[in-house]
Amino acid sequence: MALNRRRILHGASMGGLLLAAIGCGDEAAPAKPGDASKPDANKEVNSATGKGTPTVAAFTGAPLEIKASDKELLEAAKPEGKVLVYSTTDSASAKPLIADFNARYPEIKLDYQDLNSTDLFNKFTAESAAGTDTADVLWSSAMDQQMKMMQDGLGGSYQSPEADKLPQWAKYQEPGKTAWGTTLEPFAFVYNKKLLPADAVPKDHTALIKLLTDKTDLLKGKVTCYDPEKSGTGYLANSRDVTNFPAFWDLAAALGKADVKLYTSTGTMIEKIQSGEHIFGFNIIGSYILPKLKTDADTFGMVFPQDYTIGFSRVAFIAKKSKRPNSAKLFLDHLISKRGQDILAKQSLLYPSRTDAEGEATASGLQKELGDKLKPIPVSNQVLDALDQTKRLAFVEKWQKALGRS
Amino acid sequence: MMATIPSTLTQPWIRKRPFGRYAVVATVAMLVLSPLLLIAYQSSLNGPFFAESSHFDTGAWRYVLGARQFWRAFGTSAIVATGMVGIGVPLGAVLAFIMVRTDIPGRRILEPAVLIPIFLSPIVTAFGYVVAIGPVGFISLWVKSLVGSVPWNVYGLPSLIVIAALTHVPHTYLYVSTALRSVNPELEEAARTLGAPPWRVALDISLPLVRPALLFSASLTFLLGFELFGLPLVLGDPAGLLVLTTYLFKLTTLLGVPSYQMMAVVALSIVVVTLPLVMIQRHLLGQASRFATIRGRGLALRPLKLGPWRWVALTIVVAWLLLTVAVPLGGILLRSVVKGWGEGVSLSRVLTLDHFRGLADYPNLIRGIVNTIALGVIGGAISVGCYLIVGLTQHRWSSRGVAVLDFMVLIPRAIPGLVGGLAFLWLILFIPALRPLRDSMIAVWMAYSTVWLAYGLRLISTALLQVGPELEEAAQTAGASPMRVRWEITIPLVRLGLIGSWLLIFMMFVREYSTGVYLFGAGTEVIGSLIVSLWGAGGLDLIAALSVVSVAIVSVALATALRLGVRLHD
Repeated sequence: MALNRRRILHGASMGGLLLAAIGCGDEAAPAKPGDASKPDANKEVNSATGKGTPTVAAFTGAPLEIKASDKELLEAAKPEGKVLVYSTTDSASAKPLIADFNARYPEIKLDYQDLNSTDLFNKFTAESAAGTDTADVLWSSAMDQQMKMMQDGLGGSYQSPEADKLPQWAKYQEPGKTAWGTTLEPFAFVYNKKLLPADAVPKDHTALIKLLTDKTDLLKGKVTCYDPEKSGTGYLANSRDVTNFPAFWDLAAALGKADVKLYTSTGTMIEKIQSGEHIFGFNIIGSYILPKLKTDADTFGMVFPQDYTIGFSRVAFIAKKSKRPNSAKLFLDHLISKRGQDILAKQSLLYPSRTDAEGEATASGLQKELGDKLKPIPVSNQVLDALDQTKRLAFVEKWQKALGRS
Repeated sequence: MMATIPSTLTQPWIRKRPFGRYAVVATVAMLVLSPLLLIAYQSSLNGPFFAESSHFDTGAWRYVLGARQFWRAFGTSAIVATGMVGIGVPLGAVLAFIMVRTDIPGRRILEPAVLIPIFLSPIVTAFGYVVAIGPVGFISLWVKSLVGSVPWNVYGLPSLIVIAALTHVPHTYLYVSTALRSVNPELEEAARTLGAPPWRVALDISLPLVRPALLFSASLTFLLGFELFGLPLVLGDPAGLLVLTTYLFKLTTLLGVPSYQMMAVVALSIVVVTLPLVMIQRHLLGQASRFATIRGRGLALRPLKLGPWRWVALTIVVAWLLLTVAVPLGGILLRSVVKGWGEGVSLSRVLTLDHFRGLADYPNLIRGIVNTIALGVIGGAISVGCYLIVGLTQHRWSSRGVAVLDFMVLIPRAIPGLVGGLAFLWLILFIPALRPLRDSMIAVWMAYSTVWLAYGLRLISTALLQVGPELEEAAQTAGASPMRVRWEITIPLVRLGLIGSWLLIFMMFVREYSTGVYLFGAGTEVIGSLIVSLWGAGGLDLIAALSVVSVAIVSVALATALRLGVRLHD
């Protein structure tokens, strides 16, 4: 509660600063909305009219300050008045980020719609095809679907000045299109502490096979993971398992012997591990467990596998035909700015990808902990492999056979 | 169904060329057939219909019809639907008879409770069952502590059938009770006077009189069996049980991006099942005039005296309520006030009101609640108005138009929400005249009204069927115009049916979500859409609290409305 209140105060003082900054910006930098919509215009304008923007140099250390490019962009965005975001991050998790954006840019109405990834894809592709008003920014955890939309020419290009601080794997920069990986969220082993003895907790995938084989009596019907047939996230994770873990099919067979229960929703799996209906979860999204570790530390245990830990990213891009391109850029900048990413790290616990993000849950923290065992799924065309129908159906067939369910 | 009634009796007051009626048929046809045709078209392409690269291709048909899983899912759906009719319809009829016709104690309290299962989102109901009687549910653990093991399994086909049947009893209840209210009680009293026990009265007098309502209920329950999604997702998935809709769900992600053409094929296959169903129903109904029991005589609804049987009746109703309402609702309620549950959790230690406090934090909640109520109350009333127009169009009209209407109204209900909602989005996006409606509640309302057309209309036409033609003919003979006959004779006679219909539609609109999931925007969210968006990310704390709030709201609304309805009737 105290944290929240501080946030709000923080935001209010921000608003005052912002107004002052805009006031001086009006004189110093002529507004060029036309230029601002071009990818690199901001930077050029910046250096050309750099005088009168004292905050640029001091930026890195001080999240409150406003850069010249921000002012420039804000002026161009004001007539647009709003930005429409389709996202898979539920409003509850995104709330601090949204509140901060609203406090920082009261002139821009943030219209934030949370949808599940398939709905997001269906809605955005249909609306784009019909040429009606649709989202300006797409922010989804379904990396393959995001890249598919990029491939189909629905994503635009914006060289965000904030992107410099993103790690290499999080940047997708092709001619005419860019996308950014905003988080790096680990797939973890999650278990119920009350029901799984501490010495039995597996530390890596090989140990998991052993656990499933040795303790079949305890675990039969009580192990859970995503259904790769019904969950895109599940398939994405498994397709990485296959490349990272040569014995993956032994693991699948062991899961089958333990009568693994397959689900499509993370919420269901977490709930059932908490209640004890299930004891162990494989490939559970770590960022969803973190809040639970706080509220129910007696029950939940989480392990990042030591042999390899896969991380997926919430990918953001600006729609190519965005009707409010400047506001879209403001939001995207905000999302990958130090300030925005710190909020994701401290309040939303989403493991933001930015290298200098600070807080409880960050990608750099994971990196420190796991070193080269952390395997981010890169934001690249390589992800599209997951959409190869032949491979997918072949995987599913093999998976069912390994589980003994074909 | 009217064809067998001599036309001289029923039609003197109908104009030779009823343009108005044809206009209604045409409007309904447009509303119902356009999504269906779009889905049919989509099924025969190799990609999204709006993509330039898509062309005609039968691959989707070949894949789906050749898939073993599809046929297995089809079979499972048929078993579930049949089981639901077999258990749910008789039970619903019994409940309706007890509640409407007998002097069962505590009827005023029981009556609103009977309807509760309808307005619970199925996915939430199913989850409530898991919390209550799942492997580590609170009731299961209690039973386990008594007898050493849990003697049931909430997952799997048998429990899915039983739970689906129990939770769909209110549909039958509503239709049959509406019909029973219009049955002349003198017939039953006559039988009673002659010494027939209550169950004989029910079987020999009441049952045959409400046959149309029973048949409608049976076919709708069967349809709903094919359309079930939330229950099989939660109760079937852990057992590896696949029904048609969950198979359809799988097709959205099996290939990474939704395969619209395959989804369309599965959706059409469900529609195809309904074709023979409706034919059979029309055939069985035969002569509708037999069911006209509201005559131009005074009638008073006097309850049947059950004597000692009252307690048997009460036991039946309460047992059903316990299983269908108390168990899942108890599960949800419990879940909304605990931090955790299950094996090794002492409930008193985890009690909390944080989830409800969390709701206040939730940015869209208030808007969602207000929208939900507005959509249900105002939108529901307008929908009932529209259904009444359609119902009156069919009323006393023997024409092919009626047959066509009868058939068409069931189609939207047969299209699974996953596909139907998408088809509506497509129509609104790609028909320029409809585009301005986007992101307004009107679009949502239109979609909802179309999907629940069958429900509302059946309720209204069941009531209309029981208006004897003499009253209308008398008015006609006295010189009233057709409009005036409807306004002053027919509509007042079916007002109870209208109120019941409004209530039902209100509850359906509150609960519905899959149809509108693509049509909601910022400012037009409803509770259902909020629950869906929370489901994926594991926000079960909030979902439980939100469900409890929505149940509370609807219960209050329902109790108020029923009270109002009863007063109107007295």
